[in-house]
Amino acid sequence: MAQTYSGPGVFKRIRDDYFSTRLNTVVTLGFAAFVIWVVWSLFGWGIQQAIWSPADKDHCGHGSGGACWAVIAARWRLIFFGLFPFEEQWRSGIACAAIVLTGGLSCVPWFWSARRLSALWIIGFAVFYCLMRGGFFGLTLVSEQNWGGLSLTIFIFASVTLIGMPLAIVFALLRQSRLPWIARTMGVVIDTIRSLPLLSILFTFAIVIPFVLPGWMIGDKLYRVIVGYALFFACYQAEIIRGGIQSLPAGQDEAAMALGMSYWNRISYIILPQAFRNALPATINQLVITFKETSLVVIIGFFEILASGNAAYGNAEWNFAHVEVYCFVGLIYFTFVFALSRYGAYLERRMAVVER
Amino acid sequence: MTNSQSAVRISDMDKYYGTFHALKGINLDIAKGEKIVICGPSGSGKSTLIRCINRLEEHQVGSINVLGTELDDNLDNIDEIRRETGMVFQHFNLFPHMTVLENCILAPMLVRKQERHLAERDAMELLTKVKIPEQAEKYPGQLSGGQQQRVAIARALCMKPAIMLFDEPTSALDPEMISEVLDVMVGLAHEGMTMICVTHEMGFARQVADRVIFMDGGEVIEQAPPDQFFDNPQHERTQAFLGQILGH
Repeated sequence: MAQTYSGPGVFKRIRDDYFSTRLNTVVTLGFAAFVIWVVWSLFGWGIQQAIWSPADKDHCGHGSGGACWAVIAARWRLIFFGLFPFEEQWRSGIACAAIVLTGGLSCVPWFWSARRLSALWIIGFAVFYCLMRGGFFGLTLVSEQNWGGLSLTIFIFASVTLIGMPLAIVFALLRQSRLPWIARTMGVVIDTIRSLPLLSILFTFAIVIPFVLPGWMIGDKLYRVIVGYALFFACYQAEIIRGGIQSLPAGQDEAAMALGMSYWNRISYIILPQAFRNALPATINQLVITFKETSLVVIIGFFEILASGNAAYGNAEWNFAHVEVYCFVGLIYFTFVFALSRYGAYLERRMAVVER
Repeated sequence: MTNSQSAVRISDMDKYYGTFHALKGINLDIAKGEKIVICGPSGSGKSTLIRCINRLEEHQVGSINVLGTELDDNLDNIDEIRRETGMVFQHFNLFPHMTVLENCILAPMLVRKQERHLAERDAMELLTKVKIPEQAEKYPGQLSGGQQQRVAIARALCMKPAIMLFDEPTSALDPEMISEVLDVMVGLAHEGMTMICVTHEMGFARQVADRVIFMDGGEVIEQAPPDQFFDNPQHERTQAFLGQILGH
């Protein structure tokens, strides 16, 4: 039987790594004390001395020293659903769950074909839209202006990604065009949009576009904002995809050409699958940024989750509890972003195994 | 009028990269079933020449006719010629995100519209011919260089081409893997495939070539059957080149 080297014992390793000199010992103990103090304080504030039930809310903020989670218990529906009519909020909840489920399912490899993915998302969006807007089968009509909270955040993120990603592919291919005028024009468009702040683009699409376009093209403000944001996303993502394409050896395209494959076959079977693999970490990064920046729509009057969080503590009854509300909203953001980045890590591992 | 026995006919062809004159006045008539070996010092234009035959490079002057189809700006003609010519590259250029079998069946299914099970059957036959049927489900990155190059040959053959182009197929291989690739090529030659090979494997040239072409500075300097070419080269540049590669 082959011998394996198991290395030094745990204690020896800890001593070597953290206590090897007097200075190291001091630094180690100092940081350990600091970390323990932070964790202990958070534990005391967030759990031990916290007030959980709205019934005890009179104790909140009066020297109890703990967090007032009662505000979440009392106001969570406002945070999750915004201005959606109170009696109808179950619709918003199911709609939100439908989009999250659709997103989750599209992470499963079985769905990774153009036909299955598009069928999945068409159904997902249809369910979301019908439930949110209503106006039939006895569901009362709720216009887009009253959508809000988590449902709105997720809807904006999903739509921006779904419109933006195909657009990004088209932009990247045009930027790579062999016809210099097309490539150059696309380059100028991408650079222009990338040089503008997202805020100004959202403003333009929400406020300025209605003056410019004919009436039938204007659509609801929400959809204009989504289109503007998708355009912004597409320009960034196009550059990421272009980087992925350029990192491929020229021999890949040549081999496909020599086999007689057409341009679109080469793009969809040889170039893009490999380009996306190369660009995966940057793509996940871009998706995370896009998710978080959905909060900017608040400035043109949409009530996404951060804004409805503001509203949750924004009355005389709860106005002391902003820290608790922000912690809660932060936790929701964290849940989604963390899931996304773990999924990205899973994809990278999966591809590494395949290609080894 | 094209000779119906010609596989490739190149007339007065010139190729420029910008102002650089890469190929000068090339005239070449290659018959069906003929095996051609092209050799010459690096930068002599030999790779460029065979890459012009399937339009991986574009020529500027003169004409190239492949199996009766004129290679011009007509995309249908280019597609037609690429369907009929297989190419093997120095660096294999297998698709790393697909298994060996998927590499082989992709183009037959997309370009020849072959059904999957037929394409797979043909691919397995050809993988058996290049002696690696057991690697069909592996990814290219898991194979050795010699195995990858044999897969690349099988992949090209899956399109059932009439002409095979080899662009320095053994130059990127470790020495001990060269013969396994050459064996496959010799077998292919004995089956009567039309082959145009850019290679420095002079043993291979002697064994299978009908004609050896020596290029230098973008021109065809000399062409002759292998015995005559190696034993009695006419041009001094050919003599110098052969002296360098055979002289040690």
